[in-house]
Amino acid sequence: MDLLSSLRISSSGLAAQRKRMEAHSSNIANAQTTRTAEGGPYRRKEVVFGSEPARETFSEILEGELSENAQTVHATEVVHSDKVVYKHDPSHPDANSEGYVAMPDINPMVEMANMIEAQRAYESNVTALNVTKQMATKTLEIGRGN
Amino acid sequence: MDVNDKTLKALTTALNFREMRQELISSNVANANTPGYKAKKMDFEEALARALDVDGQMQMNVKDERHHTVGNGGFNNLEPEIYDDPNGVVSENGNTVDVEAEMAKMAENKLMYDALVQLINKKMGIMKYAINSDK
Repeated sequence: MDLLSSLRISSSGLAAQRKRMEAHSSNIANAQTTRTAEGGPYRRKEVVFGSEPARETFSEILEGELSENAQTVHATEVVHSDKVVYKHDPSHPDANSEGYVAMPDINPMVEMANMIEAQRAYESNVTALNVTKQMATKTLEIGRGN
Repeated sequence: MDVNDKTLKALTTALNFREMRQELISSNVANANTPGYKAKKMDFEEALARALDVDGQMQMNVKDERHHTVGNGGFNNLEPEIYDDPNGVVSENGNTVDVEAEMAKMAENKLMYDALVQLINKKMGIMKYAINSDK
């Protein structure tokens, strides 16, 4: 049934946007982090999306043309930025001999803008999911009350 | 009255196509941020109108049962047309999804879907009335 794969597609969108939200909140939270487990300052994270066909099983692919066209979305990879900015702060415990501290390359404004974009995208996926749900409920009304 | 008549066939076919369109719109909305994703569009109205053959202009005579019919009974061979939306605005990452337009399309699609379900119910109500009319 097509409505079920619509639900699957919308939920894949929700999961992908949530991953993106996680990356951006992690960036904001760690804007000042200079010590990480890997050593050095925190590296900025960015989630990259990719699409893949919504249907996987053989019979579903046989169903026709829609199989290649209706695509789910998933977070293909998390990219770590290698960029580090040096801030002059001799009083900082992690400052080098010249008084410079390696800080993460994070602009809170950019992160906030990205977060709002992720939020809106999340909301539109919720709307799509709800509409699909209403359609499925409506289908159950066929033949009722005649 | 033929129980398995054209109207009911047309309604169920349309219902099926609306479900497919919902799937395509969901796919476009979910991939609104995917780099390089192209928004998809689907047309079925024309094919459905041809199958319905409202004005009788496109009726073909079928002499062999292996021939495809265009008029009555043509519903089984209907294929919707799916293509990349040519009107999409390309963003810097190559994505052409217009989320607002997709939401509007989805609202319309849902309304039409509900209307179709209502029409099917009406049709069934009429048939039931005919069956029970001697009581």
